[in-house]
Amino acid sequence: MTSSASFESYFHVIRDIISAMHALTNLEDVFDVVVTKSTEALNAKGTLLRVLNKETNRFEVRAAAGLGERYLSKGTVSTEKILATLSEPGKVYIITDIWNAPRVEYPQQTWDEGIRMLLDVPLAVEDHVTGLLRIYLSEQRDLSADELDFIQTIAMQCACVIDRVGLMERQQSRFYRLASQVEKGSSLGRMAAGIAHEINNPLAGILLYSSNLSKKVPKGSPLEEGLNIIIKETQRCKTIIQGLLDFAREQEPERFPVNVNDIVSSALGIVENEFHLRHVRIHKELSQDMMETLLDRNQIEQVVINLLLNALHAVEDKGRVIVRSGINETEQKIYIEISDNGCGIPPENMDKIFDPFFSTKANGTGLGLAVSCGIVRKHKGDIRVTSKPNQGACFIVEFPIISDAPEDEERR
Amino acid sequence: MKPLNVLVIDNEDAICRACHLVLTEKGHQVDYSKTGESGLRAMARDSYHLVLLDMKLPDMDGMDILRDLKKRMPGLKVIVMTGYATLSNAVQAMKLGATDYLCKPFTDDELTDAVEKACSTL
Repeated sequence: MTSSASFESYFHVIRDIISAMHALTNLEDVFDVVVTKSTEALNAKGTLLRVLNKETNRFEVRAAAGLGERYLSKGTVSTEKILATLSEPGKVYIITDIWNAPRVEYPQQTWDEGIRMLLDVPLAVEDHVTGLLRIYLSEQRDLSADELDFIQTIAMQCACVIDRVGLMERQQSRFYRLASQVEKGSSLGRMAAGIAHEINNPLAGILLYSSNLSKKVPKGSPLEEGLNIIIKETQRCKTIIQGLLDFAREQEPERFPVNVNDIVSSALGIVENEFHLRHVRIHKELSQDMMETLLDRNQIEQVVINLLLNALHAVEDKGRVIVRSGINETEQKIYIEISDNGCGIPPENMDKIFDPFFSTKANGTGLGLAVSCGIVRKHKGDIRVTSKPNQGACFIVEFPIISDAPEDEERR
Repeated sequence: MKPLNVLVIDNEDAICRACHLVLTEKGHQVDYSKTGESGLRAMARDSYHLVLLDMKLPDMDGMDILRDLKKRMPGLKVIVMTGYATLSNAVQAMKLGATDYLCKPFTDDELTDAVEKACSTL
């Protein structure tokens, strides 16, 4: 290839990759363009693109060109192996000694495929390796500066795509989660008053008759026992419906400038005794330079109490709960973090924990987190959770730092 | 306490009959109406010490009935009953002159206590 022809060819490849990137219809399409065009441009035998799966910590093949099935069936590579041998992102590793290079895992198969030279290029954004591009050549040759430059450019672009798509996917799933919560919240709001009325009326008849009858039956008789159970269970229904109403009520927060540490301390004071009875320790790590922000003190206290009691229920006796507060300066937010070393949340429940009436406690109403989530949202805040089964859970509540009273804003 | 004349206005038959049972056993005279309109007619026809008034009736709003009754009979005791208890509608009912507020469901004792407390000054 002449130098101008190769320049043109590289230019076309980069153009194709970038246009695929911007279309971003499908990550796999972008990868396919990367591997086929890289193979073409370098006149190589094939190209393999592996991307780090953060959950399994393995590099998985996401796109391949020019390689036989037998070779591809070799599958994933663990990150330890790759990271131990590839430490410098942005560098192109040239492997010519197929038989002895530690990075070549299957030398026999590689040789049988007719491969005589390999180029390994880590894909990295800010030193985090997220993938690996491996180009296979069927002959050993020197690479021109242009070729190396080309490979590095491709690797850089490719790493950016992976990073951006990851970010987009995270944002998208967060958006869907929030959207479904908003929808659930508003339809529930409309229904709550109707449900309360429709259920409480029949309950009124049940409770009046059963409480009246229980006085007329012989003391200690099975009839009295049965009636008392009816009375108790009816009152339980009443509590559940009241909880639903509290959840659904469109109560606007009454916000005043407050130091969130004060709210946390007062919530801790309320639940302290329960923790003490269960021998559960609370570590308090509150930020010394906490800023005031506009919050409804009572509502946020309720949220913190809910989270603390959930943490208490999740840990065994002698467990520990950590309460932190802090400021996220870049995002201008304050946060409260409540973590425990308890039973954790099973992955299948993660999507449901903020749903009204979802509970894993024997006597839970399933409204604590639903109510908390509603309150936080009304403060334009956010509530998030991370958890692994048997390794505890961590709830983070964030609020924007707002210093002006809302009235002031309007006046301006 | 002296026997009272009580009118229950609630569209639920079971509630009307239960209130009738509980309060007649305490020696009171109890009538009931299942619509706002028939309740107001009964009020015009007979004299009552106390009205147990549901807030949500099929034909009229309980608050309107309360407003109307208190205007015509300022001395009348009214206990409001509701299946949808919120602080704001409790406050509104009290402002309109309701004597007390019962959240459905309630027990026989809660009913008789509320009735006796409301009429203790009569």
